[in-house]
Amino acid sequence: MLDEALHSPRGKDGRAPDPLRVGGWMPMRQYGENDEVDFAIVGTGAGGGTLACKLAEAGFSVVGFDAGAWWRPLEEFASDETHQEKLFWTDERICDGDNPLKLGSNNSGKAIGGSTVHFAMVSLRFRPEWLKSRSLLGYGADWPLDWREMWRYYTEVEQALKIAGPVNYPWGPPRPRYPYRAHELNAAALVLAKGCEAMGIPWSETPLATVSAPRGRSPPCVYRGFCVSGCSTNAKQSALITWIPRAVKAGAEIRDLAMAGRIETNDAGYVTGVHYYREGQWRFQRARNVVVAGYAIETPRLLLSSANSQFPDGLANSSGLVGKNLMAQTNQAAWGVMEDEIRWYKGPPSLAVTEHWNYTDTGKDFFGGYAYMSQGPLPRAWVSSLAGNRGLWGDALLRAMEKYNHQAGLKIVGEVLPQERNRVALADEKDRYGLPIARVTYSLCDNDKALVKHALNFMSQSLSVVGARDIWTESDDTCHLNGTARMGDDPRTSVVNADCRSWDIPNLWVCDGSVFPTVGGVNPSLTIQAIACRTADRIRAMAAQGSL
Amino acid sequence: MPERYPGYDVLAKRATPSWNEPTRRVIDARLSIPNEPRFFTMQEWETLTAICDRIVPQPKDRAPVPIAALVDRKMTNDERDGYRQASMPKMQQAWQRGLAALDAAARASHGAPFHAIAAVKQDVLLKAMQNGELSGPEWNGMPAHTFFSERLAHDILAAYYSHSSSWNEIGFGGPASPRGYVRMNFNRRDSWEAVEAKPGHEAAARKANERVG
Amino acid sequence: MAANNAGDLSTAATRQLVGGAVGAIALGLGVALLRRGFTPQTGRETLAGARTHARQKRSPLRVDEPPQVKAARRLNRAAGLLGTSTLLDSAVEHYRGSFQNKAMYTPLIVSALMLAVSAHGTRDKRPIAHGVRDATYLAAALTGIAGTGFHIYNIAKRPGGFSWQNLFYGSPLGAPGAVALSGLLGYYSERLRDNESDKIPKVFGLPAGRALAALSGVGLLATAGEAGLLHFRGAYHNPFMFAPVTVPPLAGALLGETALSRPRRPRRLTRWWLRLTALLGFAGAGFHAYGVQRNMGGWRNWSQNVLNGPPIPAPPSFTGLALAGLAALGLLEEHPDA
Repeated sequence: MLDEALHSPRGKDGRAPDPLRVGGWMPMRQYGENDEVDFAIVGTGAGGGTLACKLAEAGFSVVGFDAGAWWRPLEEFASDETHQEKLFWTDERICDGDNPLKLGSNNSGKAIGGSTVHFAMVSLRFRPEWLKSRSLLGYGADWPLDWREMWRYYTEVEQALKIAGPVNYPWGPPRPRYPYRAHELNAAALVLAKGCEAMGIPWSETPLATVSAPRGRSPPCVYRGFCVSGCSTNAKQSALITWIPRAVKAGAEIRDLAMAGRIETNDAGYVTGVHYYREGQWRFQRARNVVVAGYAIETPRLLLSSANSQFPDGLANSSGLVGKNLMAQTNQAAWGVMEDEIRWYKGPPSLAVTEHWNYTDTGKDFFGGYAYMSQGPLPRAWVSSLAGNRGLWGDALLRAMEKYNHQAGLKIVGEVLPQERNRVALADEKDRYGLPIARVTYSLCDNDKALVKHALNFMSQSLSVVGARDIWTESDDTCHLNGTARMGDDPRTSVVNADCRSWDIPNLWVCDGSVFPTVGGVNPSLTIQAIACRTADRIRAMAAQGSL
Repeated sequence: MPERYPGYDVLAKRATPSWNEPTRRVIDARLSIPNEPRFFTMQEWETLTAICDRIVPQPKDRAPVPIAALVDRKMTNDERDGYRQASMPKMQQAWQRGLAALDAAARASHGAPFHAIAAVKQDVLLKAMQNGELSGPEWNGMPAHTFFSERLAHDILAAYYSHSSSWNEIGFGGPASPRGYVRMNFNRRDSWEAVEAKPGHEAAARKANERVG
Repeated sequence: MAANNAGDLSTAATRQLVGGAVGAIALGLGVALLRRGFTPQTGRETLAGARTHARQKRSPLRVDEPPQVKAARRLNRAAGLLGTSTLLDSAVEHYRGSFQNKAMYTPLIVSALMLAVSAHGTRDKRPIAHGVRDATYLAAALTGIAGTGFHIYNIAKRPGGFSWQNLFYGSPLGAPGAVALSGLLGYYSERLRDNESDKIPKVFGLPAGRALAALSGVGLLATAGEAGLLHFRGAYHNPFMFAPVTVPPLAGALLGETALSRPRRPRRLTRWWLRLTALLGFAGAGFHAYGVQRNMGGWRNWSQNVLNGPPIPAPPSFTGLALAGLAALGLLEEHPDA
């Protein structure tokens, strides 16, 4: 039901769905498989979708591939947590390590637009020092990027997504005013605000990629609260409704339900195109350049499973780092029951944020930082937290669930350190395409645990000072995935350079959260998009110089 | 346990702007699934139904949510989570193995299948599974506690809280599109949200909840 | 950076055109409604004029309407219009606030009463103040002042205090001021009536025309400030949203100039600019009605969008204030020194 888009591709025959109109179509350029296009981009989320748009607008011929469906939210998204799992990447993956990850829902999207179709829209900038955390802060690795340059690209993305944010942001160097004003806070966010004021730290409205005033065909957010199940009103400025339509209008072709299986190389050691599965058969698209933008699990999976006799350890893997240094940000929470009715199901889930512990280096017994935000899990997500962490069932669970409308909570996006033992590798098991599935190994290190402990203490206190009762902490949750194809200055210690170009194969690129050398304590989507914008500019500049 | 939101029914909003057509179709389909197995055998089904009754003891004064059938449909359609721990078999196998193992444990300790033993005894067995105290050849290496948390409780609770009756119980607003919400502050509700009964004022809350729409 | 491609721009342009059309229709309606108020008394040989004439004949007491009564009646109309705007606006906003506090009914009751007495005053040509009207207007002015106090208190106690968040979404600071202003205009009209017709009309010892010009000028500036704040909240996503922060403040400035400058006439620019402002008030309501349609679910989802969309009753407060300004000009026309 409502899953037509999952069964037959829509981006074909010279047209593509217009996600902003019921039953809408837009004309789309099409390339032949024998046309050697300038760029074949695998993945259409925050990295690939943005890059496809920017490259097409710069005049390159671009074909984007995505394993997921091309939805029209207005007519195909229900207000239902269960049904909307159709947006998640639910192909099997195997998880092990000391802290096996939970995947599939909050951190893995499968759709045109990728995870931005169901992300929580939190659009934060990196703290500038994080780009040089090894030199300046003593941990992790330095990025080969300059924060001032990134600041400009952040601005570009914020403008493109009409981010609704506070008039004045309390942390970091000055930034231009957000294009749209912040949303009204809900009670859950006010609990965070009161807690911060009582604890003596600043707080802010969260800059969000959902509009607070009309924009084109996007109406302002109606505060329905189903954001992480997909936005049925198109208020959310996902790649699906922003970068992708722009890309198509600029002449890019996007192929939905197209699963990339292998990148082909020639004797000269260059990539020549992508093998992909669509409409019941394997196909091959020739391309002068291939960009992998499948996020931190699918990107290394594709690079590794493209191994051949010339590149026996997988593509771009002379450093041996493809798949390694996976960083899954910690996502622990403190929850409590308020005397007041909170009804946290109303509004975007994370309307208020504090980045205090991202920008403060004193009073910490660990490296790195964390932001924490107000929360609004819907019933299924909430029961999963309650049962998963506290082991409740039977009457005890029903009694706890009854307090749903009085719950408030604070949840971190916590930095974790890069560790080579945390990695994505190929398992023996094959998926329905006959491709080896990913094995994801994950263990927190002592520093990660110290950070979580600090955060849980602080958040529990700030709930307790505003009168919350029955406070408990959730210790087993992670969110965004990054790393696994890190960028750097040295081919021996990184997979790609600052331009996201692989060291080993000059016409192979990686453009998504995989390139992060460190992860910071903020949601990564804005940074992924900013890097994609920068990469497009660099590619244009290199093409102009003839060095592409 | 007195009802916290007496008289509140999310379904009363079905024809209001809170529900769009896709939502109506999805919820209608979920509410009309027949309470019978398609994937599980009768024996597995009986065990599963008995487990569901213990994990979610439902009130007697309304039609029960067919939790087992909802779990069964998840198996029929093989709707997976997108990951599994290395110690676990695939979803369908995990359930088949876990149900058989629980049944075997009941027969071993009480000489009867799980569904036929007393509720208290069922709870003891479930608790033992949750604590990882069950093992044996039927488990075939699958850790009982992982099966309990990652499959059994996870799938049963996800099924229950996908049903509108559970939303009524906790005062959740339910579907909300195109109409979302207006009043966001503490203790504020829109006229299309549930009214919470303050102790002693259940009748007033029931009356107000009957007007929600 | 190319934020929008051509396609996006063209849809945006279409939308603005549609918005413009709705605004224009509202504008037309406004013109029709306001015609009587605008038409200079001297040139009134229309049906309406004939009717007035006939009525005057039936009432032998009233011969020639003294200019301050004329101005007072115009002020009654202005106060009534402003009162209508505040009645509807406070009804919507306080309904949104669930009438959490019983005091939230006060501006509704007071505005409704003000509306009634203003209608009465508009028809009343006697050159004497009316006790009930007087009391009602005074009550409205006091309600507005008390309301401002309440709203300030409400904002101060929210987390963040006087932050943008609370100025945008907390109790609107300027709204009760509009109630006070309309009460003040009405009260002023009653004082005007008390003047003897052959003297320069004075209120509270000040020349009435100038004082009234200053009062409505300040009112226009304050209301434009409120619109500016809320349109900033809306990120000026539509260029028409700049209209209320440009046209009324200019009208306010012109009225200020009128209040302070040496007597002279005719003040054509001021008059026409006030008329434009008055029309803008109606057009604004039209724009806002279109804005509600543009929110998710449109008018079908009225129970949300009337509350969360742009406030439809708010813009006509510009019309009310512009009418007050025109009344001041009228006074000054009769008594250049007024």
